[in-house]
Amino acid sequence: MKKNCIAMLLAGGQGSRLYALTQQAAKPSVPFGGKYRIIDFPLSNCANSGIDTVGVLTQYKPLQLNSYVGNGQAWDLDVAEGGVYILPPYQTAGEKGSWFSGTANAIYQNISFIDQYNPDSVLILSGDHIYKMNYADMLREHNEHGAAATIAVLTVTMEEATRFGIMNLGEDGYVCEFEEKPKQPKSNLASMGIYIFDWQKLRQYLIEDEADPNSSKDFGKNIIPKMLAAGEKLWPYRFQGYWRDVGTIKSLWDANMDMLSPELLNLFDPDWPISSRSPVCPPSYVGDMAELDHSMVTEGCCVNGRVENSVLSPNVNVGKGASVLHSVLMPGAVIENGAVVEYAIIGEHTVVGCGAHVGSAPDGSKDWGIATVGPDVNVRPGATVAANAMIYTSEEV
Amino acid sequence: MLDFHGIIFAYRANPALGDLVAHRTAASLPFCGRYRLIDLTLSSMINAGIRDVGVIMQRDYQSLLDHVGSGKPWDLDRKSGGLRILPPFGLPEYHKGNYAGTMEALNAVGEYIRDIPQKYVVLMLGDLCANINLVPLMEEHIRSGNPVTAICTDHLPDGLHHRYVVGEDGLVKEILFDRSSDGEGIASLEGYIINKDTLLAMMDACLARNEYRFHKDGLANYLAQGGKMGVVVHHGYAKVIRSAETFFKANMDMLDKDIFDGFFMADHPIRTKEHEGVSTFYGNDARVYNSLLADNSIIDGELENCVVFSGVRVGKGAKLKNCILMKGTEVGEDCQLSNIVADKNVHFAPRTVLIGADTLPTIVAKGKHI
Repeated sequence: MKKNCIAMLLAGGQGSRLYALTQQAAKPSVPFGGKYRIIDFPLSNCANSGIDTVGVLTQYKPLQLNSYVGNGQAWDLDVAEGGVYILPPYQTAGEKGSWFSGTANAIYQNISFIDQYNPDSVLILSGDHIYKMNYADMLREHNEHGAAATIAVLTVTMEEATRFGIMNLGEDGYVCEFEEKPKQPKSNLASMGIYIFDWQKLRQYLIEDEADPNSSKDFGKNIIPKMLAAGEKLWPYRFQGYWRDVGTIKSLWDANMDMLSPELLNLFDPDWPISSRSPVCPPSYVGDMAELDHSMVTEGCCVNGRVENSVLSPNVNVGKGASVLHSVLMPGAVIENGAVVEYAIIGEHTVVGCGAHVGSAPDGSKDWGIATVGPDVNVRPGATVAANAMIYTSEEV
Repeated sequence: MLDFHGIIFAYRANPALGDLVAHRTAASLPFCGRYRLIDLTLSSMINAGIRDVGVIMQRDYQSLLDHVGSGKPWDLDRKSGGLRILPPFGLPEYHKGNYAGTMEALNAVGEYIRDIPQKYVVLMLGDLCANINLVPLMEEHIRSGNPVTAICTDHLPDGLHHRYVVGEDGLVKEILFDRSSDGEGIASLEGYIINKDTLLAMMDACLARNEYRFHKDGLANYLAQGGKMGVVVHHGYAKVIRSAETFFKANMDMLDKDIFDGFFMADHPIRTKEHEGVSTFYGNDARVYNSLLADNSIIDGELENCVVFSGVRVGKGAKLKNCILMKGTEVGEDCQLSNIVADKNVHFAPRTVLIGADTLPTIVAKGKHI
């Protein structure tokens, strides 16, 4: 069946800069904001934008992601023609098959999947961004400007521009130059890693790029520059609103904290719901001794201690006399009586023992950072986990 | 437990529930911040491995239909079997208006009962507030060989209920109808595990005599003719929700952490329709004590002993005690509310003061603006 536009979601990256949090699962399945996982954002954006066919490209530890996405029902993407497809690397006739060697290669290996829908356009998304975007608007601009590719861009400060892929525009408003992390940026329009391509054109570039032994098979590094060099029309779609790449511990923590300020990231907006596949839990129980301040608490939690500026995912337990400050507690985390967790991320089903102390408030020193305890770790009663620590296993604490 | 078929009676609503059942049957009453009463019985059944469930409805069932849908949350959306909604389709000749009794309700869906492929049927109330582990009770039914097994409680139910006098042989000797207090016998939860053939025989006998009551006609005749009925006891929390007071009490009981933990056992989860929404946000001025809260609410006021459903807003300076706030309730700034049940989408303007009695809460009807 022909589709106007289908989405390909790159969800295969390890997310190595999240360290302990991505030891057992790929980055897109990392819990976010209490009820969500990172992949909920692009999937919900697709559903809300009227895109009902999404290929999810997986590679690194896909088990959690596969079971989480399932048939896409949680995002109303379980439709008869289209829907969500998990696309792992696979073997091909006469060849050994291979892992996805880059973002462009991942799409190249799935050309036949896309061809099934014979789409006019293909939307390329990544699975590690927190944002609400109407892709239908972007697609409209793409069509209006007759672009071969449209790249979503964000206005950043000139200082920040040195950390991004920067788009320089010509007088006609089209992209004329792309610079990856320029030392002397000429513009402050940063690529968000979200692209819409004319499918027939992209298909051709993918095949050519695949044959190029010097290419690293990457959209930003190879495909976009090749299209520019060939004189294709590349249009910048200026996105306004909240967007954050949550590829590092600090940015993941920041984005969670941003959610506590609805003026930054408002998820209560009924016009743009972010859906998730959440477990059905009893309501959260808030005890007599609990103190809740500027925090989010999810069903299934039991709170008997102090919780301030924090995000509590489903089934988190905070014991009596415990304090949770400026922290993110992932599903099933247990903070036992008298423990203190501050400026920290606590992984799924991790137990912080009685009286233990994880993390500390910023002290202005260079070494300070968010303390992270990975999933399924037992922090011994009374133990101390320093600021900026990264704990993978119970043996360390 | 594939030999068992579930039937849930979801057609009735006791008038003592007042405005709470103006637009719904008792089985779709919201419960404990997150559920509808019927979730409890549905979950008890599927947790015991029952795969086919019929839900008997008659009127005011829009809210119930909306909630149970295709039965997906309970994995009852099956290609064959699964959930069947049973509106009346074979009304007995004596039928007038509402079902006069459970036997009439059964006979109104008689063809469905006749076609049940399983050997045993579990009959339960849709307005029962209990999380029952049915497995040992079903096993006891098979072991005893009695054609009927009554599900009883060792808790004293609120209000009128039937009691069974049990002989030394473990069989029911006598039914004591409409008792209001503890005393002789054991209290009925009006749930039965019954052989399908026995049930059909009882239904036919009642139909022939134009009788419509399950206990006073069906079961009484069965016992009078020497039929054997055993009893099994559910020891956990149980209430049949027949009045606004009981509804209020059952919700408030869940604020007792011991009752709550006993009710929401991890290995017997209560399943319900998934809902969209964010975690609940507690603002800088929120003070919350001993309360239960679903997701998707924004709390800026003070709550004590409250049960809060999703999508609720409580403004700054508001003080609420012993309140049940159903989905979409908005409480303006500086309101003072005690012993209030706010039905769905009620709005309290800022500075509203409303105090209900300790034992009899004030019920604010659905959608009202105060």
